[in-house]
Amino acid sequence: MIGRRWYTPWLFLAPSLVLLTVFMWWPVVNTAALSFTDTHTLRGGGFTGLDNFRRIAGDDFFWNALGNTALFTVIVTPALVVLPLLIAILVSAKLKGMTFFRVVFFSPVVASMVVAALIWGWMLRSDGLVNFVLDRLGVINEPLRWLSDPALVMISVSIVTIWKGLGYYMVIYIAGLQNIPQDLYEAAALDGAGPIRRLWSITLPLMRPTMVLVGTLVTLNAVKVFTEAFVLTGGGPNRASETLVLYIYQRGFSGLELGYSSAMSLVLFVVVLGLTLLSQIVTRRRANP
Amino acid sequence: MIRTRRGPVAALVALTVVLAACGTAGEVEEPDAEPDTDATSDEPTEEVDEEAEAEPAALSGEITFTTLQLSPDFDAYIEGVIASFESEHPEATIDWVDVPFEGAQERLLADASAGTLADVINLNPDLSFPLAVEGQFVDLDEAGAEVRGDYVEGAWDSFRYPGIDGAFGYPWYLSTEVTMYNAALLEEAGLDPDDAPETFEALFETARTVAENTDARGMHPALENRFVIDLVKLGVEITNDDATEATFNTPEAVELVEELRSLYEDGAISPDSVTEGHRQEIEAYQAGNIALFPTGPNFLNIIEENAPDIAADTRVAPQITGPAGVTGMSVMGLLVPESTDNPDLAHAFAQYMTNGENQLAFAEQVLIFPSIVDALEDPMFTDPDEGDADFAEAISVAAEQLPDAANLRPVVVDEEVNNAIISNVQSAILGDLTAEEALDAATAEVDDILQRRAS
Repeated sequence: MIGRRWYTPWLFLAPSLVLLTVFMWWPVVNTAALSFTDTHTLRGGGFTGLDNFRRIAGDDFFWNALGNTALFTVIVTPALVVLPLLIAILVSAKLKGMTFFRVVFFSPVVASMVVAALIWGWMLRSDGLVNFVLDRLGVINEPLRWLSDPALVMISVSIVTIWKGLGYYMVIYIAGLQNIPQDLYEAAALDGAGPIRRLWSITLPLMRPTMVLVGTLVTLNAVKVFTEAFVLTGGGPNRASETLVLYIYQRGFSGLELGYSSAMSLVLFVVVLGLTLLSQIVTRRRANP
Repeated sequence: MIRTRRGPVAALVALTVVLAACGTAGEVEEPDAEPDTDATSDEPTEEVDEEAEAEPAALSGEITFTTLQLSPDFDAYIEGVIASFESEHPEATIDWVDVPFEGAQERLLADASAGTLADVINLNPDLSFPLAVEGQFVDLDEAGAEVRGDYVEGAWDSFRYPGIDGAFGYPWYLSTEVTMYNAALLEEAGLDPDDAPETFEALFETARTVAENTDARGMHPALENRFVIDLVKLGVEITNDDATEATFNTPEAVELVEELRSLYEDGAISPDSVTEGHRQEIEAYQAGNIALFPTGPNFLNIIEENAPDIAADTRVAPQITGPAGVTGMSVMGLLVPESTDNPDLAHAFAQYMTNGENQLAFAEQVLIFPSIVDALEDPMFTDPDEGDADFAEAISVAAEQLPDAANLRPVVVDEEVNNAIISNVQSAILGDLTAEEALDAATAEVDDILQRRAS
């Protein structure tokens, strides 16, 4: 018989603890420490106190990147809270062939983001599919510069994220929808409530916790957006689609300013932490009205 | 970075095996006859030679050799050269590692900060710049003094960096831009397909005429690759000598940006191309969407493979030059880091890999050019008659311009500096800034980067 020893649970935890420490906690601590230095990738560096943070305050490119990231978050979050819910409701209908549509909507999730961004890059070209369709529909007179017009480029990046995220959040919503007791709908139907009324008075109120969860996940991911912008536009034209993580990456890897980019990462960390706390507060309030 | 010419590969495998078997044969001087390259510099060269001949088997130990994206296309060639080197020096072992071009810079920097750089590293001048200015590479003006004269001068000088003395790379394979053009499109536009543009003015005029008279655009600006180089061809200095200040904000630069703006307005370049790079330029040329395509001759292989119709209409003319009269080339080199613990073997191997014979064998496989002066005079380049006319034309045009060519992209223009310049230029071409505003902003950004680096 195997005895109960104090270290048995630790043995089970050890693999993930080791991985988390090596690839997560140690880098986090290291990044925090580097933020107070002027470390250069090759030259090393020394302690500089709050210099990096003062520099961030006066760095126009940082504020530009933060602004782009905020814009992206504001576009993507409502879209990815509402659209997947609508799709989830549609594909939950008890009709033939719905599994097919679930698979179709979910498939972009499986694709690599790089591939998705490349394909959208082709479709969004001025002579690409999107402009062709819009032109045929008579919506536009001349091709839109999706990838080179500073006013449009963040929208293009958002489109890729939304398209790719739909399926993932749809699955979360489908799970939430299955938790709604069917007798509520039956009772409402007996009382003469139509489909819209049932959606508004039963589905939406009961889905609210799921929507808050999805909203939180979307926001946190949106703040960290990188791949879409990197592949689709490289941050251009002239930094119009440069997101915070992209800017941190460029300062760190082509500018070799490890200390400064660590400081910006720390700021990003604080932003993410703040948003997480905020969502916790919101969730708690919803849960205990 | 280069693609293989598929046809003769099999023949070449055979060739490399032959080379491996009779390693030292051939007219080209064998640099590895001088293994003691790290000898103190004040020693007379003759003495080094004698010493070397006296004990040619002195090389021993194990070194690591990294290349940039040559595997798997050139496995047989590289392994063949390594095998013949090892058979001449039975005590020596070369470990070969190939690094993909994507992410090469990140990997190099990570290796450098971890102290695990290879002993012989294949880099181009701008990839090696950040490490070189930190004094991480061996100065070959001293360590490679005996072989320096064998290499094309402009190639040797490509590995010099502002603010430090010395040259830091054994030039390896070279390429040089030629102007490919779609003769059918030129004809359709009412132009003489035999009269290819050779100056910037002619290039821009041809691009306009093509755009006006055909469905295609004239050209692709590929700013990321070409803008800075074009400025240099126009006689603009990008920075001052010690690379502390940007100096590219000149009337010539304003004129070039305005010209690009007007090409955009005239439809001679497409809106998307303003923010695109060389990859999309190839795609556009292969699709017949642009008529003019300045690029390395090795891209003929790719066009022939992907778009045989376009390849059939393609002709080749010399590189576009400006009033400065200089021709550009791109250079790959082999660098030896100061951190190597076996410098003798590292230098001997780098010299062996880049010697004339081995580079000629490399050039048999793919459209690249050797960096050895004598090798460039091989009939393979001076009188390329076999195969199809396009290739022959591209080879002789390129080989002719190489001996006087130079690496025009200043090493200080790495990704960060290049982005700072072209991102503003993009805005000017798209009409969001004037040319002056864009160049002012670019100058301020580059100054800021250079000052941060100097501090």
